[in-house]
Amino acid sequence: MTTLIVIDQAPYGSWSGREALDMAFSLAAFDQPVSLLFCDAGVNWLRQGQQATELGQKTVEKNLAAAPMFGVEAILADGPACQRYGLDDSNLLAGVTRVEAVEPIIARHTDVLFAG
Amino acid sequence: MSSTALSYTLVITGAPWASQAPQTALEFARALVQAGHRLDRVFLYGDGIHLASALATPPSDEPNWPRQWAEFLAAHQVPAVACIASALRRGLVNEAEQGRYELPASNLLAPFEIAGLGEWVEGRLKTDRTVYFHGSGA
Repeated sequence: MTTLIVIDQAPYGSWSGREALDMAFSLAAFDQPVSLLFCDAGVNWLRQGQQATELGQKTVEKNLAAAPMFGVEAILADGPACQRYGLDDSNLLAGVTRVEAVEPIIARHTDVLFAG
Repeated sequence: MSSTALSYTLVITGAPWASQAPQTALEFARALVQAGHRLDRVFLYGDGIHLASALATPPSDEPNWPRQWAEFLAAHQVPAVACIASALRRGLVNEAEQGRYELPASNLLAPFEIAGLGEWVEGRLKTDRTVYFHGSGA
């Protein structure tokens, strides 16, 4: 079983993305192969220099930084969505892989699930 | 009648009244049991944990989704777990958590229980199918 967790909503507006991240960490902690895919407005999770304290929240950058430690296999970003939101090599978080199309990524996982 | 019985884990992430997720999941649960399949467990996550509140008190001529679910779970002896992190964040606690955090009340509806995401991980591994019921924000 290989799981892809898809986050397609921008950070900070709701807790669903953070809770999807917890699902990914939980799978990884139990040695289940899992990757994260950010698409649509969800790619904004991956922007460098987020200043969430202005919002009274903790930055999601810190949460994401724990992904490799938990054993999350890959952090993937939809390339066209990155382009739409002005994300490129200069402002994308380290360790993120941009993909040209999400369909092949989805196809190679046995389980795909969305943030609720 | 199905020739091959399957085991299921249902995950509900949409809240009652804010979404149709608990109602749709209940209809699905009833249908799969009637068809001879086995409902192994129900896992409430995110806003779905509101389904396990003992304090939901809709007007008497409206459906009470927590109560309907609780009756179904008891009748079919299906374990149901609310994610502890989701639950604590949203003010759903059992007596143990009430004591731990020195809260003025507890409000977990029996037979729902509170546990960690490990229950979800185990459900996915042990059962043939895991089906998700999301709210409108998904």
